[in-house]
Amino acid sequence: MAISPVPMEPTGGALTETTLNSEDSRRFGNLRGVQWRIDLGILPSSPSSSVDDLRRVTANSRRRYAALRRQLLVDPHLPKDGSSSPDLVIDNPLSQNPDSMWGRFFKNAELERMVDQDLTRLYPEHGSYFQTSGCQGMLRRILLLWCLRHQEYGYRQGMHELLAPLLYVLHVDVEHLSEVRNMYEDYFTDKFDGFSFHESDLTYKFDFKKFSELMEDGNGSGKVAANASSLSQLDPNIQTIVLLSDAYGAEGELGVVLSEKFMEHDAYCMFDALMNGSGGAVAMAEFFSPSPFASSHTGFPPVIEASAALYHLLSLVDSSLHTHLVELGVEPQYFSLRWLRVLFGREFALEELLIVWDEIFACENCKLNKLAENDVDTSSGVLDSSRGAFISAFAVSMILYLRSSLLATENATSCLKRLLNFPDDVKLEKLIRKAKSLQALAVDANNSNPLLTQAGMFERSESAAVRGHSLSFDATSPRTPLTLVPDSYWEEKWRNLHKEEERKKDALEKQAPSIRKGWSEKVKLGLSRTESAPSSSSVDKRKKDPKLSVRRNLLEDLARQLGADEDTQSIMDDERADVKDQGVEDGQDFNDKFACTTEQTCLSGNAGSEENSSIFSDPPSPINGVNDHGNESGRSSVASNSSIDEHDGGTNTAELCAHNPEGLPLPVSDSPDDVSLEASPNDQTAAEKSTVGLKERKLLSSSKFQWLWKFGRGGGEGIPEKGQVSEANKGCSNRFDHDSVTRCSASNGGVILSSESSKGETVDQNVMLTLRNLGQSMLENIQVIESVFQQDRAQAAPAKNVLVGKGQVTARSALKELRKISNLLSEM
Amino acid sequence: MVLVLALGDLHIPHRAPDLPAKFKSMLVPGKIQHIICTGNLCIKEVHDYLKTICPDLHITRGEYDEETRYPETKTLTIGQFKLGICHGHQVIPWGDLDSLAMLQRQLDVDILVTGHTHQFTAYKHEAGVVINPGSATGAYSSITYDVNPSFVLMDIDGLRVVVYVYELIDGEVKVDKIDFKKTTASANSAH
Repeated sequence: MAISPVPMEPTGGALTETTLNSEDSRRFGNLRGVQWRIDLGILPSSPSSSVDDLRRVTANSRRRYAALRRQLLVDPHLPKDGSSSPDLVIDNPLSQNPDSMWGRFFKNAELERMVDQDLTRLYPEHGSYFQTSGCQGMLRRILLLWCLRHQEYGYRQGMHELLAPLLYVLHVDVEHLSEVRNMYEDYFTDKFDGFSFHESDLTYKFDFKKFSELMEDGNGSGKVAANASSLSQLDPNIQTIVLLSDAYGAEGELGVVLSEKFMEHDAYCMFDALMNGSGGAVAMAEFFSPSPFASSHTGFPPVIEASAALYHLLSLVDSSLHTHLVELGVEPQYFSLRWLRVLFGREFALEELLIVWDEIFACENCKLNKLAENDVDTSSGVLDSSRGAFISAFAVSMILYLRSSLLATENATSCLKRLLNFPDDVKLEKLIRKAKSLQALAVDANNSNPLLTQAGMFERSESAAVRGHSLSFDATSPRTPLTLVPDSYWEEKWRNLHKEEERKKDALEKQAPSIRKGWSEKVKLGLSRTESAPSSSSVDKRKKDPKLSVRRNLLEDLARQLGADEDTQSIMDDERADVKDQGVEDGQDFNDKFACTTEQTCLSGNAGSEENSSIFSDPPSPINGVNDHGNESGRSSVASNSSIDEHDGGTNTAELCAHNPEGLPLPVSDSPDDVSLEASPNDQTAAEKSTVGLKERKLLSSSKFQWLWKFGRGGGEGIPEKGQVSEANKGCSNRFDHDSVTRCSASNGGVILSSESSKGETVDQNVMLTLRNLGQSMLENIQVIESVFQQDRAQAAPAKNVLVGKGQVTARSALKELRKISNLLSEM
Repeated sequence: MVLVLALGDLHIPHRAPDLPAKFKSMLVPGKIQHIICTGNLCIKEVHDYLKTICPDLHITRGEYDEETRYPETKTLTIGQFKLGICHGHQVIPWGDLDSLAMLQRQLDVDILVTGHTHQFTAYKHEAGVVINPGSATGAYSSITYDVNPSFVLMDIDGLRVVVYVYELIDGEVKVDKIDFKKTTASANSAH
């Protein structure tokens, strides 16, 4: 290829200046490594940049890489940050602390293992280069460092295939260099000042005896000088190579642009530039991320957007093929994911791929639609440059190449098969020419692509014929969850454990956070399954969760007994009533407190805070026992108070609580609404009680599911972090102490009446068991509440009102009472 | 960079119910390449548990072990180091450095790991290193009741071994580190 001569500055005085040829052709056409570096933006691309500039930029980028390597590759034996005595409790090899040196070491080891898995399978047909340990080592280090540097992407399969050709071209360049070196040995001699010294001779070639020989030597050096001056008459290619590899030019050895020693550095820079897009639009890294591109308006991952752009272009070019593919249900990302992520690396052989990439990189990468970014109709951001346009044009031309065979098939699988096994014997020039012709069209298509807006996508999917087209936004492409390099299971547990422990430094009692956490996790686990069917009819589902199964059993017991024997059911009520009678005032307080707290928490849940895990009351029994009262009233008052501000210690909440001492506080559940409206409150006859009880149980079960569901949503979060709920709790308990007496008598009356109607005394063993379990769970709840209190005490909570001080005291006493009750229960 | 765990004298279930929870949370599978156990586990369940941490397990027989087929002594080579294991009740006086050094010379090892005294010690003498990882559960011994749970992790890297000692003192894990270097001659040298 024709090369415009490089303007050279006199180095060592022997070379002459040549004028810059302002041709359009590429400067380093046969030195792909250099050319690509220019295209990717690492080396300055302006034609007037001299070799020295190139060298300087090269040197800088290499220095950066070297620094990065030193910084990120962790040797656990060396103390971090030069500290001479690392804190051994943190920095020992078994430390779970993921921030410790060893933690990082193991994480890096994990990442390296993943990278290795891919590398061993890289280009086996070119195994002679790629599978050598030197090359593999370089690839591994580069990938590792890039992934450590860009934690948000992590390592994805395919990155290694983008890197490999980059390294390959550098390698080819270096080989070319050594060939040239062999051919033109003279020019590569180590002449930094124009003199050449034969090894055995004297420096000052003045042998007084052999003066004549000196004359010859002088001539010899003159000859060398003559040789040097004829360099400029050499092929300009060779000139450039010589200059680029002169070890004494600008920046010395670090600036030798074609250097084997620094291949790793250069490859890293190229890879980085390719992934980042160097400020342009096409950033390959975007293709690996499942999250939507920052400035995209469609909210889809960039790969999906790019695939859609592809299809859009296809529709413009060849609408029949497009409609055919869409009708068959061939989503573009099925094949284009692979095409785009490795830039067609899997579709072509290595040599052909290099030609394709030449073309791709030759296109400019600057964003074309800078001004129109706010426009809703802007195209997919990631392909928004002429390079991106070329990529999509090339992809379309590939699809068009297969046109006849695609149109011939009638089912999606064989279409995909055809597309994914691109034929080997394709004429690249044709494809490239076609792509170039489509490129302009692609740019336009990008500009005016209304179909890429969300509405547009829906439109298209609706209008297309059958078979599941709606661009399924979740799982079409094999998306791997993008997270930071995830902590391993043990490290997560360690983190959670230590977070909680830090907060309980001055715990009064030994907490069992893991127990609680485990419990809440179990509940959450069970609940995520119940979420979809929050009705009493789902009672029969068998869950693995023992806690839930306990409650389910309880419900089943209730249901069974309800259906079979009214007596036993009323007996059960009696049981609970007895329980309550035993610790009358306390029980009442407890019930009320729990009721109100759940209420409050539900309200707060409605108000948006979801971390209510600690306050949910699970024991259905007390609620069940006293739920003959005031369902309706409770509900209405709850509804009316849905916008309560919990911090407000005003009358609203007091009133609310007064109305609904044992309320089934579920404004969320819809189905119980009907039930409760039918329920006749305050009716004490057994029969009616049973029906009421039934409805209430339904209410209860559904409401309980709802509670537990809400619980589960917040449960997995561990310690609730907002003080709102606990404040509400305190406020409530505070108020309850005032109202407890009145309410106590009221509900006790109800309870006693119900007990009068009970008949036999047979106690169901299941019930005992469940009661015991309930006691246990209450105990755990207590622990949770206590932990919340301590946490709040430890935290500097903002804007707590006076209520809190009193609230804490009363809460504490209330908790003690709770403890008594639960002990009683468990003893039962 | 080979991590070798050395522990022993657990006496589960007779004298202790289980390893301390903090130790258990640290011993996760995947990090450790070898386990050396001086003996007195005592039951098979403990053997299985240790196997889950690392499949490469070397045990010698302690006097209370219920598995009779463990050997009395064992030697293995890891990296540049030769390690020897023995429970230590056979070497009298118990815990005596000179007698243990005799055993070390007999086995011809650089690092000798013994137990039985339930006290952590690490001696260095010109022939090598003698390490006693103590009792991992803090079980009482024939000599004393005052035992802190402890175990040892060795990081063998070329000619250097770094010994991390983990002790549970007052409910907190304390870690200490000792460096040993081996000269290319078979004798160890002080670091």
